[in-house]
Amino acid sequence: MGPRWKGKGAEAKALADPMSKIVLKLQSSLIQSDARGILCGSSVLLAAEEEQALLFGRAYFGHPIVNADKDRQWFQLGMEEAFFLCYSLKCLKIAGEDKRLKDDQELWQCMKSKKAGFPVFYKAYSHLRTKNWVVRPGLQYGADFVAYRHHPSLVHSEYAVLVSSEGDAEANGRLKLWSDVHCTLRLCLGVVKTLLVLTISKNGDDDDSPSCLANYMVDERTVTRWSPEQSREEDTSDDVESQARE
Amino acid sequence: MTLCGSGVGCSAGVGGAGLSTVNPCTPAAVQDSPADGINSNIGNFQVTDRENYLGEGVIEGYSQKSNDIDEHEDHYASASSSKSQFRKVALKARWSDETGMAEVVDKRGTIWRTTGIVRSSKLYFSIEEVLFLIEIGALLLMDDGDISLSLEDMYVKISNGKHGCSWEEFQAYRQLKSLGYIVGRHGVPWSMKIVKSNHESVSSYGCRDNDEAVDLDSEESRSVFGLFNEMQIDEARLVFDVYLPNSKFRKSSPGDPSFVLCFTRGHPPSKADLEALERRCRNIPVKVCHVEQGGVSLFSFDKVELPILP
Repeated sequence: MGPRWKGKGAEAKALADPMSKIVLKLQSSLIQSDARGILCGSSVLLAAEEEQALLFGRAYFGHPIVNADKDRQWFQLGMEEAFFLCYSLKCLKIAGEDKRLKDDQELWQCMKSKKAGFPVFYKAYSHLRTKNWVVRPGLQYGADFVAYRHHPSLVHSEYAVLVSSEGDAEANGRLKLWSDVHCTLRLCLGVVKTLLVLTISKNGDDDDSPSCLANYMVDERTVTRWSPEQSREEDTSDDVESQARE
Repeated sequence: MTLCGSGVGCSAGVGGAGLSTVNPCTPAAVQDSPADGINSNIGNFQVTDRENYLGEGVIEGYSQKSNDIDEHEDHYASASSSKSQFRKVALKARWSDETGMAEVVDKRGTIWRTTGIVRSSKLYFSIEEVLFLIEIGALLLMDDGDISLSLEDMYVKISNGKHGCSWEEFQAYRQLKSLGYIVGRHGVPWSMKIVKSNHESVSSYGCRDNDEAVDLDSEESRSVFGLFNEMQIDEARLVFDVYLPNSKFRKSSPGDPSFVLCFTRGHPPSKADLEALERRCRNIPVKVCHVEQGGVSLFSFDKVELPILP
């Protein structure tokens, strides 16, 4: 399965407007406005002025919240998104209910306590975002994330992403049974996505501080059903790999 | 009834419970390969140019249509088809429980070009090859005392998995063979000629260690299958070397398999399992097979590297 662009010209549009540049613009906008978010349950809430709100939309971080605030657009960020803006892009500060800003260490502990396996999910998220893929929640496809080649208005998501962690029961516990493999691949076929499994190797047990992320290794594998009926003349399973290398 | 792996075989006829196994007792169709020069009465099968690529022993009666998702749905339809045709018996072989193989005593036709291993100018079939050929009606099998062995006898023999191939593995073998793939036991040379004449080519077999090949050479075929049985007791097993349909296939120069078919015990492979399999197969792709409830599914777990986008 290759990228499925939405209409003619979408691919050219994407090429002319690289995602890395959009994220950079968002980053400098957030730094300039000294952006602050509020940790609220397992989300981070944040208000953006008009121009910044547009950048949030173009970089596709968070969901807009509909409310009566006429001056600013509110957004709700997931934990991985918020931590990425905080820790990797250093353009967002986050406060708890006491209104005091949390440092990286506090935020890390806080997110770990709210979501088991946060370190490996975050590694997977930041791994793809760092490669300039747009990463969104994958729950509606039964996955952890979905990954887009560019903005979802231009292209359908290419990968349903499952995060697996080597050696321990963290992450999602998925694909441990054949029935789950069949189920997941059947679903992926239906929604025209390739299943991408990111396996995180921690290389040590210490996850007290986010600096451990530097030791995490990410292994990327696609899982596909191989049909002997359709592959008699050439090995079509190679297609997935060659696409991924594009 | 024979308890065979995790399915129960039943010869009570087409209407019996469970999937009917396609064999000469339950009518299904077999298409003679053009190589045999018998191409009559193909019935309602589509004859396309892909036929040119079919190897010998190709069955079109499994109703494994190209839509792999709904593969089970018309087994009964095909089993009740009256347009069935099986091969005229062309091969005779003598089974030995001791070696777990059959020595071919009368080889006619062309099936042997892609089936069986050659040792000291003799042709030997493994149990999966024997069973497949009997199922398509292409082999007469006898025991040491020249008493004919039936399909049922062979189902019983494969049921204990002692001859190097389990019922589950056989189902995968049958599906690939019925589509014209060329399938050999992983790491077992088709012929010893290549090993003698060209030691470098040993590594091109994929996963077999050089010294094993040399052992085989000296000990003849007798111990071949026993040896590989013992090698496969660990979690994930490399079972078959699979080649794409190829009418020019030569046992003396088979080339690298297209992929190695692996089986895991019970669960999908972990990353560690996959890495171990890939190490053992070096540069030959690995596919993982899952056989359950009569269905054969093959999966690729391919290592990829997502591109860094602009």
